[in-house]
Amino acid sequence: MHDTMDDGKRPDRLDRLLTDYFRPEMAAADLPRRIAAAARESTTALERLEARLGIEATARGISRVGTGPVGKPATAAARRLIEQARLEIHEYLRGQRAFFRVPVDLTTVPDFQRSVLEAARHIPFGEARAYAWIAARVGHPRAVRAVGTALGRNPVPLILPCHRVWRSDGGLGGYIFGADVKDRLAALERTTPVLEGCTSTRIVCRVGCIHGRHMRPDNRVVFASVEDARSVGYRPCKVCRPAA
Amino acid sequence: MDAERGLMAKVARGDHAAFAELAQRYSGKLLAVAGRLLGSRADAEDAVQRAFLQCFAGAAGYDPRWAVSTWLYRILTNVCVDELRRRATRTAHDERSVAGALSDASSNHRPPAAYLDLHRALALVPREARVLLALRYVDGLSYGELARIRGISINTVKSQLARGKALLRAELGKRGAGHA
Repeated sequence: MHDTMDDGKRPDRLDRLLTDYFRPEMAAADLPRRIAAAARESTTALERLEARLGIEATARGISRVGTGPVGKPATAAARRLIEQARLEIHEYLRGQRAFFRVPVDLTTVPDFQRSVLEAARHIPFGEARAYAWIAARVGHPRAVRAVGTALGRNPVPLILPCHRVWRSDGGLGGYIFGADVKDRLAALERTTPVLEGCTSTRIVCRVGCIHGRHMRPDNRVVFASVEDARSVGYRPCKVCRPAA
Repeated sequence: MDAERGLMAKVARGDHAAFAELAQRYSGKLLAVAGRLLGSRADAEDAVQRAFLQCFAGAAGYDPRWAVSTWLYRILTNVCVDELRRRATRTAHDERSVAGALSDASSNHRPPAAYLDLHRALALVPREARVLLALRYVDGLSYGELARIRGISINTVKSQLARGKALLRAELGKRGAGHA
């Protein structure tokens, strides 16, 4: 198969070893069928959630995301923030965004709850931490139940990721929008890349960066780290600062 | 080639039979790349399935100037590289019990004994070079195809492959096996 592996040279022992090692595997007979079946399934649960979402904001940031009725924005600034949040949530739920830029306004939230929500914010995209991890982080290691309550009253779910907090035994725990949505969000984040490069500009961005929105699908290349991207000639974006 | 592009056109129109045929044609090769990069059969199957689903969802945006295989390898490597990123951050974080619940990925897939040294040596090769080596040796892809799949220059492909192989030679030499 590889008569000339490198610039016309005869394959050497390493080439032959690599060719053997990377020999195509037999796919399980039912894999193509399973794939085709999965393509017929839809992920409408998250789309239904999006359609029900109401968003409130002050001039400082988003103050509520929920499914109940919402008040009208008091200022033009608040209206713009709501539009931004709606777009970011839309992209997030479609696997096109791995971070939120829109500011939140937690000024009316009690201190303990605010520190819990801030701690949850430090859980990386696509990962999970235990309620006990949050409790330890906010300096009240025994207050696991209170942490659960504080997260359960998160006024800005999705944007502040209380869905990334699970039980220590790996159980889902509760969620404002229901355990089914929490489970789907975990699956969504597991399949959404975090870093993508543009092959025409050779710039690497966080997924969801304004640059990425204009990127053609066939120009997208995923990277595992900024260092990896640098090693093959890409530079980090100055807008979304993926290294920061 | 043109037959495959015709197949893609059908997939873009939502033709499930054409999609199943595409999956049938490519799942073996894609599985080999994903299996060698991710280390476990279950993770590889998951990655291949996700890649095909993205292919199905994005078929309307397929550009016929691309070979179907190049396009599929791009999607698959995007999926695999992101999975490798996730593992790197997970390993960096000490609390693995809950993280483990989010993903059951574990590298417990043991290659045949003859390849153990190579398997260990490959783990020392930087990720981007490892991805290129897998694509190069699974399907004998050209430098141009590799460049297109990873969105890098042909010279970068060559230097990454050369560096990766030099590392492998040095490692295998140390172990006193496979030195060419």
